[in-house]
Amino acid sequence: MADNHLQFLDIPRKDPDKRAVEVRSKEFREIYSQYSAEQAGQQAGRCIACGNPFCEWKCPVHNYIPNWLNLVKDGKLFEAAELSHQTNSLPEMCGRICPQDRLCEGACTLNDGIGAVSIGAIEKYITDEAFKQGWKPDMSNVVRTLKRVAVVGAGPAGLACADVLVRNGVTPVVFDRYSKIGGLLTFGIPPFKLEKEVVEKRREIMEGMGVEFRLSVDVGRDVGFDELLREFDAVFLGMGTYTYVKGGFAGEDLPGVHEALPYLISNINRELRIENEASRFVDMRGKRVVVLGGGDTGMDCNRTAVRQGASSVTCTYRRDEDNMPGSRRDYKNSKEEGVTFLFNKQPIEIVGTDRVQGVKMVETRLGPPGPRGRRIPEVVPGTEETIDADAVIIAFGFLPSPADWFAQQQIALHANGRVRVSAAPQQRFQTTNPKVFAGGDMVRGSDLVVTAVFEGREAAQGILRHLGVRARAQA
Amino acid sequence: MTNRDPADFDTSLEGRDPRDGDWGLCRSSYEKDSCGFGLIASLDDHASHWVLQTAISSLNRLTHRGAIAADGKTGDGCGLLIKQPTAFLRAVAKESGLTLAPLFAAGIVFLNRDTAKAGRARRVLTEQLQHEKLKVAGFRMMPLDPGACGSEALKTLPVIEQVFVNAGGDLDEATFNRKLYLARRRTEKSLEGDDPIFYIPSLSASTIVYKGMVMPQFLAQFYPDLKDPRLEASVVVFHQRFSTNTMPQWRLAHPYRYLAHNGEINTVQGNRSWAVARGPLFRSPVLPDLSDILPVVSLTGSDSQSLDNMLELLLVGGLDPMHAMRLLVPPAWQSVDMIDPDLKAFYEYYATHMEPWDGPAGIVLTDGRYAVCTLDRNGLRPARWVITQNRHITIASEAGVWDYLPEEVVKKGKLGPGEMLALDLQTSELMDTKRVDDLLKSRHPYKAWLKKGVRYLQTDLIDPRLAAEPFDRDTLAVFQKMYNVSAEERDDIIRVLAEDESEAVGSMGDDTPMPVLSRKVRSLYDYFRQQFAQVTNPPIDSLREGIVMSLQTQIGVEANIFVPAQAHAEQIVLSSPVLSQRKLRQIVALADSGVPNEFIDLQYDEQVDLKTSLTKICDQAEAAVRNGTIVLLLSDRYLVKGKVPVHALLATGAVHHRLVKTGLRCKCNILVETGTARDAHHFACLIGYGATAVYPYLAYQTLFDLMRKGALKMEAAMRQELGRSYRRGIRKGLFKIMSKMGISTIASYRSAQLFEIVGLGNEVVNLCFEGSDSRIQGADFKDLKIDADYLAQRAWDRSENVEQGGLLKYMHNGEYHMYNPDVIATLQSAVMTGDYQQYREFAALVNERPVSCIRDLLKLKSQAAAVPIDEVEPISAILKRFDSAGMSLGALSPEAHEALAIAMNRLGARSNSGEGGEDPVRYGTEKNSKIKQVASGRFGVTPEYLINAEVLQIKIAQGAKPGEGGQLPGHKVNDMIARLRFARPGVGLISPPPHHDIYSIEDLAQLIFDLKQVNPKALVSVKLVAEPGVGTVAAGVAKAYADLITISGYDGGTGASPLSSIKYAGTPWELGLAETHQTLRANELRHRVRLQTDGGLKTGLDVIKAALIGAESFGFGTAPMVALGCKYLRICHLNNCATGVATQHNVLRSKYFIGLPDMVINYFKFVAQECREIMASLGVRSLTELIGRTELLEILPGETSKQRKLDLSPVLANSALLSSKPQYCIDPHNEPYDKGVLAEKMLGDMQEAIAAKLGGQFSYAVHNYNRSIGARISGEIAKHWGNAGMSAAPLVVSLKGSVGQSFGVWNAGGLHLHLEGEANDYVGKGMAGGKIVLKPHTDSSFTARDTIIMGNTCLYGATGGELYAAGTTGERFAVRNSGALAVVEGAGDHCCEYMTGGVVCVLGRTGVNFGAGFTGGFAYVLDMERDFVDRYNHDLIDIHRVSPEGMGTHVQHLRGLIEQHVAATDSVWGARLLNDFRSYIGRFWVVKPKAAEINSLLENLRRAA
Repeated sequence: MADNHLQFLDIPRKDPDKRAVEVRSKEFREIYSQYSAEQAGQQAGRCIACGNPFCEWKCPVHNYIPNWLNLVKDGKLFEAAELSHQTNSLPEMCGRICPQDRLCEGACTLNDGIGAVSIGAIEKYITDEAFKQGWKPDMSNVVRTLKRVAVVGAGPAGLACADVLVRNGVTPVVFDRYSKIGGLLTFGIPPFKLEKEVVEKRREIMEGMGVEFRLSVDVGRDVGFDELLREFDAVFLGMGTYTYVKGGFAGEDLPGVHEALPYLISNINRELRIENEASRFVDMRGKRVVVLGGGDTGMDCNRTAVRQGASSVTCTYRRDEDNMPGSRRDYKNSKEEGVTFLFNKQPIEIVGTDRVQGVKMVETRLGPPGPRGRRIPEVVPGTEETIDADAVIIAFGFLPSPADWFAQQQIALHANGRVRVSAAPQQRFQTTNPKVFAGGDMVRGSDLVVTAVFEGREAAQGILRHLGVRARAQA
Repeated sequence: MTNRDPADFDTSLEGRDPRDGDWGLCRSSYEKDSCGFGLIASLDDHASHWVLQTAISSLNRLTHRGAIAADGKTGDGCGLLIKQPTAFLRAVAKESGLTLAPLFAAGIVFLNRDTAKAGRARRVLTEQLQHEKLKVAGFRMMPLDPGACGSEALKTLPVIEQVFVNAGGDLDEATFNRKLYLARRRTEKSLEGDDPIFYIPSLSASTIVYKGMVMPQFLAQFYPDLKDPRLEASVVVFHQRFSTNTMPQWRLAHPYRYLAHNGEINTVQGNRSWAVARGPLFRSPVLPDLSDILPVVSLTGSDSQSLDNMLELLLVGGLDPMHAMRLLVPPAWQSVDMIDPDLKAFYEYYATHMEPWDGPAGIVLTDGRYAVCTLDRNGLRPARWVITQNRHITIASEAGVWDYLPEEVVKKGKLGPGEMLALDLQTSELMDTKRVDDLLKSRHPYKAWLKKGVRYLQTDLIDPRLAAEPFDRDTLAVFQKMYNVSAEERDDIIRVLAEDESEAVGSMGDDTPMPVLSRKVRSLYDYFRQQFAQVTNPPIDSLREGIVMSLQTQIGVEANIFVPAQAHAEQIVLSSPVLSQRKLRQIVALADSGVPNEFIDLQYDEQVDLKTSLTKICDQAEAAVRNGTIVLLLSDRYLVKGKVPVHALLATGAVHHRLVKTGLRCKCNILVETGTARDAHHFACLIGYGATAVYPYLAYQTLFDLMRKGALKMEAAMRQELGRSYRRGIRKGLFKIMSKMGISTIASYRSAQLFEIVGLGNEVVNLCFEGSDSRIQGADFKDLKIDADYLAQRAWDRSENVEQGGLLKYMHNGEYHMYNPDVIATLQSAVMTGDYQQYREFAALVNERPVSCIRDLLKLKSQAAAVPIDEVEPISAILKRFDSAGMSLGALSPEAHEALAIAMNRLGARSNSGEGGEDPVRYGTEKNSKIKQVASGRFGVTPEYLINAEVLQIKIAQGAKPGEGGQLPGHKVNDMIARLRFARPGVGLISPPPHHDIYSIEDLAQLIFDLKQVNPKALVSVKLVAEPGVGTVAAGVAKAYADLITISGYDGGTGASPLSSIKYAGTPWELGLAETHQTLRANELRHRVRLQTDGGLKTGLDVIKAALIGAESFGFGTAPMVALGCKYLRICHLNNCATGVATQHNVLRSKYFIGLPDMVINYFKFVAQECREIMASLGVRSLTELIGRTELLEILPGETSKQRKLDLSPVLANSALLSSKPQYCIDPHNEPYDKGVLAEKMLGDMQEAIAAKLGGQFSYAVHNYNRSIGARISGEIAKHWGNAGMSAAPLVVSLKGSVGQSFGVWNAGGLHLHLEGEANDYVGKGMAGGKIVLKPHTDSSFTARDTIIMGNTCLYGATGGELYAAGTTGERFAVRNSGALAVVEGAGDHCCEYMTGGVVCVLGRTGVNFGAGFTGGFAYVLDMERDFVDRYNHDLIDIHRVSPEGMGTHVQHLRGLIEQHVAATDSVWGARLLNDFRSYIGRFWVVKPKAAEINSLLENLRRAA
C-alpha cells in the first residue's frame, strides 16, 4: 500500500480520451470522455503534494487541489466532492471550461517537461461521478435563518453566491431573464465544451439545497428593483457583461456579419430546442466563415461554425500565437477540427456590397508594451490583403452593460461602466448601496467563469457579515 | 536557569554594566562549564605532602582542558578539595595565636573587599555559629600571592580568610559538621542579595578547599600554604575549569564543598524545581528543621554547585556518599534486562522520591572518610584510574597525569557508564560498582516494600477501546474546531503517528512566522521552543542508545527520603505518561481504594477573563490537595456551549507553580485530560510544566474517526491497536525531545521547563511559566482570550468547517509562508533572465511582506546623508562575505551540489560541502567546496578532505533540527553516495545526535585543535543554533580557539527531519546573533572570531539588518537552491524532487534539473547590489561600517495586538561601556595556547622524508599534554600525496609514554605510529590509512588484556587503516567506523555503534549495546563468558558462531588478524589464542548487519580494499 513517490514519472500524464475529429466535429457533444475510477486514481496519484502547491496558488478560487487529488487517489470520492465544494460552487463546470493550462495545470510543478497533473479532468470527474453515485452537498448542519437574499442573474457569479448563502442558512432567490439557469454557462458556452445536462444537474442540486429560481424574469422590467429591496434582506447582482466590443471599421453592419454571443446563443437555443424564432438561427452550413478575435469566445465560434458544417473557418488575431488569450486546449482542438489561424492580422474593413464578401486585413507586428504590460500590435504598412468570406463573426470581447436603473438605486459605477464595490474585508463586494452587493464580470469586466465564481462566493461572505449571520473576520 | 526575579527580564538592561552578565539578551545564568578533574588518594589513609604536590602537578597537566581569559593568565578557575590536614592546620592556627579544641573545623571564607561588608559577614557567621553553640577560635588572614593572578582575576579578587571553629563538649564529627552546615546556610541566607562576593568554599571538620581564579601552574603560588611541606593530605580532589564565560567568578571554581564535576547536569532545571517543591519534605531525624535554610539548593550559579548542595543535604541528613550519589546520579536501570531484582528495587524505591540528576557527569568527591568517583548512566566523561606501587590510587580525566614509571603500575582501569569506585579510608577497602550496589540494596527490604506498595496498572495487550464513547461526526467537529485541529494536522501528523508509530518526516525549513507575529490563531504550544544541547553538553541518541531512556512515571505521594519505610513505596507505576482511556479510568477508579482525585473543569464562562479563570482553577486545586486529594484531573473534555476552555498548558503551569509555592506539590499528581495535546511536543510542554500524565482524548477520537472512515492505511488487525501505535509514536517523540537536551528519564524532564518562550508577555509567564525565558515579551491574557473566544465561536457555528490547515505547507488563507509561490516564482524568473528589475520585484515581495520575522519589525534609520552609489564598496567586496550553507551531497544531487560550488567559487565566495564528503576529483578545481563540513556522522572526513579546505566547519547543530542528527534515507544512497560516504548503497545513513567526540566544551576545543593540527592554514568554524545562552556557548567556542562562529536561526532547511523538530526547536537568529554579539563584546572576545548568521536570508535588506545586529558574514541555504530550480516542494526526503535538485534519481537529475551556476551568480550579485544601494542610502561606504550598529535600526510598533506588545529593545541593546570594544573580528587567526611543540618538532624531523616520499624511522617520548600527535604529519602527507599517502614508503614512528588525546587522529596512509604505554580518548579518530599500534610498556606488570590502553570514542569516523592494541578500550570503540580494521582485547559499551564498514575484532569482553545502528562491515567477538547475546543490540545485526565447518574462510581470516595483532603488539593473549586456536574458535562470533550475507562479507572486504 506504500505510495509510489515516483508515480509522476512511471505513469505519464493522460487526459481523458477525446472523440475522433471526424465524429466530434459533426456533433455538439462534449469531446472528452470520463476517466474510469482507476484512471482517475492513477492520474491523481501523480501529484507530488508540493510544499508549495502552485496549482492552488494560481487557482482563482484556491481549490484544495493536492488534497482532493489525494482523496481521489485513495478512492475517497465523496470526501473529494465535499472538499472540492468547499472552495468552488461549480467544480464540474470549472473542470470543463477553465483554461487550466494557464491556471492550475500551467503552474503545476510537473509542468516543467514532466507533464502536469490533469487537474481539470479530475476535478470534473469528482463531481460528475459523485453526482452519479448519488452524492449531494450535506446540508444537515445548516442552521436556517429567516434571511432572504435576491440574486439577480443565474450565471456563475449568481450561482456561486446563492450556493454560499444557502449553505449558511440564508435563502437565496435567483432571478434570471432566461428560461434556464447558467447564464453564459448555458447560452454562451457551446455544448461540445459543456453539455447542458450538467447545468441542469446543478440546478437540481441547488434546488435541493433550498435555492429558489425565478426564471424568465427580467429584473427592472418584470419585477421592480425596489420591490426586491423591499422583499429581501439584501440583493446580489451578477448580471455579467453583454455589450459587444465593436471593431470600429467600415462594413460592420453588412449582412453576414455577426456578433459572437447572439450567434452562439442562437445555436444553443436550437440545440436546446427552446428557440423562439427560427429566423434568429444563424447557420454557417457551407459558408466560408472568418472569426475575428482569438479569445475563448472566438474559439467557441470557430468550433460551432465547424460543427454547423461551414466550408471553411478562419480565425484571425492581431497579435502572435504566443500572445493569444484563448485557452491552449481550445486552440489545439480548433486546429484539429480544421480551423485555420491567421496571426498578426488586423481587420480594417469588411468588404462587400449588399452582404459580406471578405475582410480586408493588414499585417501587424508587436510594438512596445502598453499600460497594462501587453505589447501593442503595430500595423506594418503596405500589407493590405482581403480574405474572402461568406460570414464574419466578431468576437472582440464584452464591455459592461450597466442597467439604466443603477443610478437611481445609488449603485455607482467606474468610468468604464463597471460596478464599484468595497474591498474592505467586512463588506466585500458591497456596492455604494449598502444593501446591494455585486460580483462577476459586471464588477471586474469580462473574465473567466472561475473568477466570477470566486467573486460570487466572496460577495456572499460580505452579505453574510452584512446580515450579521457571520460576525467574524480574523485580523 | 530557574527562578530568577522576573523583573530582571522586564526591559532592556541598558545602563547596567554589561560585564555583570545580565544585559541585552545576555544572562549570567546561561554560563556553562566543563573541565578536567581528578582525585588522588592513599589507599591506607596515609597523609603526605607528596599527594598534594602530585595533585597540583596533575592539575597542571590538564591545563589544556581549561580555558584562559583574554589577559592570557586568568584561568577559569581551579582548586583542590583535601581531607583535613589536621596537624598543619593546628600548626598555622598556633602561629596565628589561635587555640583549637581537639575537634575543630577550618573553613575558607571569601570576603568582600569593602571592609564594612567583610566585617558584617564575619559577624553574621560568628553569630550563626554561636547560635549552634559553636565557638569561633578566630580568623586567620590567608597567606596569598596575588602575583599569581591575571589582571582579570585581580579585578574581583576577594579578601580570603581562614576561619577556625571549635567543637564544644562531646560533639561527634558528624554532628559538628551538621551544625556547621546549618550555621553556614543561615549565614548565606542572611547575606544573600546584599554581598555577592561573600562565599564560603568550605567549612568542615573533615575537609578543606583551596580554589581560585588562577591557572593550575599558579595555584600553589597563590596559596603559599600549599607549598608548605607540613601540609599533608591522604586524599585530594582536584579540578580545572573551562567556563564558557570569562567573567571572573571566584566562587564558581571547583571543587565545591564535597565534589568536583566534569560535564554538565543536563537535568538541573528540573532538579532545582523539584528541590524547591520538596523543601517541606526534607526531614531527617538528625536534621529536624530545615525551614529556615530553604531552599537547600542554589537556584542560580552553576549546575555543579546545585548538585553539591543537594549532595551536602543528603550527607548531613545521614546518608553516606555512595548511597547519596547512587540515588542522585543512578545508572540506567529501567530498561536494562539483566539487572539484579533487589538492586532494581533499590533504584525503583528511590526513583519515587528523587529524579535523576543526569549528566554528562564525571564526579569525584570526598567527605573525608570516603573518596568516590562515579559516572552517570551515559558515561560520556572519561575517568581513568591507576593504582601505583606506593599504594595510591589516581583517578583523572586522562591517563598519565603524573609520571609514574611503567613498572610502578599495579593496576589500571576506567569507569564505565553508571559505574562507581569508592575508597573507604577507614578500612582501606576499595569498592567497585558491584560491591557498592550490594551494600546498598541489602540495607532495606526494598523489593518486598515495592511488592506490597506498588500498583502496576494493568496493560492489556490490546486496548480495543480507543474511545469507549466515540464522538459522532458533529461533536468531533466541534472539538476539532475548538482545539484548532486542522485537516492537515489530522492527516499529516496524527494519522502518521498511528500509522508509522513515529513522527512524520518532512524537509526544508519552517518559513512561517512565530505565533506572536502571526495573524492566525496558533496553538499555545507553538510559543514554546524546545531547548537543546549544544557544545557544553551532548544530546543523546534515544534510538540507538535506548537502554538509558525511560518514561516510567509514578503516581502517588512523595515521602521523606531520609526515612526509608514501606509506606513510602505506595505508588502507582505507569510505563509512560501518555494515558490510554483504560488507564485513566483505572486511576480514577482508585478513588475508592485510597487514591482520592478531584475533577477540575478547565472551562469558564466566556465573560470571565483568563487570569480570573486560572486563579479559580488554582484555588480549586490547592483546596483539593489540602483536603488530601492525590490526583488532580485537569480536564477540557466536556465542552459546554457558552463556556470557553482555559488552555491546558496555562492551567497545568499555573497549578504546578501554585502548588510549589504553597509547599503542596509533592503531595499530589497532575493528570491532564485535554484535546490540545496531539503531537509529542504538546505532551513535552505539558509534562515540562508539571503534568504527571496526559490523556489525549481528542487525538484518539480523531483517529477513531479516521478509522471509521477507512482513511487509515493499515492492516485490519493493526487498526485494533491504533491507540497503542499512536502512543508508541508519541513516546518515541518524547524520547527524542528529552534526548535533545541530553535527558534520559521523564522524571528529570518533568517540570524542568526546558523551553524558551517566544512571544508571551510577563503577565502570562509569571503566572503560568515562571522561570522560563521569554525575552521579547508578547501576547498577554487578553490576546490569548481573544484567540480562545474566536475558536469557541467557530466551534459552535455548525456552518464553519474544520480548518484545512496551511501551517506545514502553503495554503491559501492559511498561515503566511515566507517562501510562498510568489516569492519562488519571482526569484526564479529574476535569476534566469538576469534582470535586476525582476529581482527588485522579488525583493519587494520579501522586504514588504506582512510582518513574519523579528527583523520585519526593525526598520533602517539613516543617520547620515546618502552617498553616491559609486562610492560604496564594489559587489566583489560584499560577495566575499557570502557562504552557501552546508548542504550535503546526498541531500542534493551532484549536479546541484557542483553548480553551487562553481558559482560560489566564481563569485569569490565560499560554498560548503555539507556533511556528505566530497569527490576527490573536485579538489583543486572550481568544483571544490572551500568550506568542508565536519558533522557528527563524519562521512568522508579524511585528511585529504580536510586539507582541501579554507574553512573547516564543525556543525554542532542545524537550524531545522537542532539537537538531532541527520538522516539520509536509503533510497538516496546510490553507488556514488555510498562511495563518498564509505557506506553501503541502499542503506540509510544516520548522523548521530551528538558528535561522539564533543560531549563538553573542552572536547570541542580538542576537536578544533585536531583540525588545526591537520590543516594549520584553515580557519575553523563552529555552527550553532540560536537559543537562550547561545552567546555564552559562543564565548566558550571562541575561547576554544574557533576562528568563525555561525549562528543559525530556527528557519534553516533540512533534507529530512521529523516535522516536530522543524517546527518546535531553535529560535530566530535575530535573538541568537544579538546575544552572541553582545556576549562576545562584553567578554572581550569579539575581535578574535568572525560571526556569521544564516536562516532564511533572502535579500540585501536581510543582509544589512544582520550586519547591523552584529554579523560580518552571511550564510544562504534555501535561496541559492531556489535559484537553481528548487520550488520548495518539501519532498527532499522522498528522493522524488521533480526539479532534480534534491534527488539522486537518474532521470530526474539528467532530464529535469535546469540549474546553472549563472543563476546562483545572478542571485548573489543581485543581493550584493541591493546591499550597495541600501548602504548608499544610509550614507556608508562599506559593510564593515555597519556591523553591530544597532542604533541604525528602529523598532516598528507592530501591526497586530500581539506584535505591539513585543519588546525588541534587548535585541538592539548596546552599552556605552562597550563603546571602545571592537564590533568585528580583527585577528586573522584565533591561535591556540597549545603550540603543539612536539608535533612541530616531529614535522621538522620528517619534512624531507615526506617531500621525497622516502619513509623513515623516528622515535619520541610522549606525555598526556602531547595532543593530536600524528595529525600534523598526516596533514602534510595528505597535502603532498593524498589519503593513500606514503603507504609504499611508510614513516614508522616509535613513541613511549602516556600520550594525549586524539593520538593518530586523521591518520594518513604511510604513517605508522607505534606506542608503548597508553593513550587517551579519540585514538585513530578519522583515520584514513596507515597503522596505529598500542602496547603496554614491557616493564608493566598488570595483565594487558584486562587493562585499558586507550580511552573513549577511538576510531570514530575512521575510513581506513589498521589499529592493533594489546589492551582494552573505552566506550564507543569504532563508532561510525567505515573502513578501518582493528584488533583489540576488550571494549567498553556501545562498541561499533553506527558502523558502516571495516572489520573490528574484539579478543575479549565487550560492554553492552554492541553494534547499535551497525549497517556495514563486520566484527569478530570473543565471548568467553557466553553472555554476548545479552550485550549486543539486536535491532540491526545478527551473530553467527564461527565454526570450522562451512566457515573456513572466516576462520582463516580471523586467524590472520590475530597473527597480525601478535606480530604488531607482542600480545601475550593473542599468542595464547593462536597457540590453542581450536579451543577458542567456537567462542568467537561473527557479527554482521542482518541485511548482509555472511558469505559475502569477506568478498565485500576485498572489493573495498
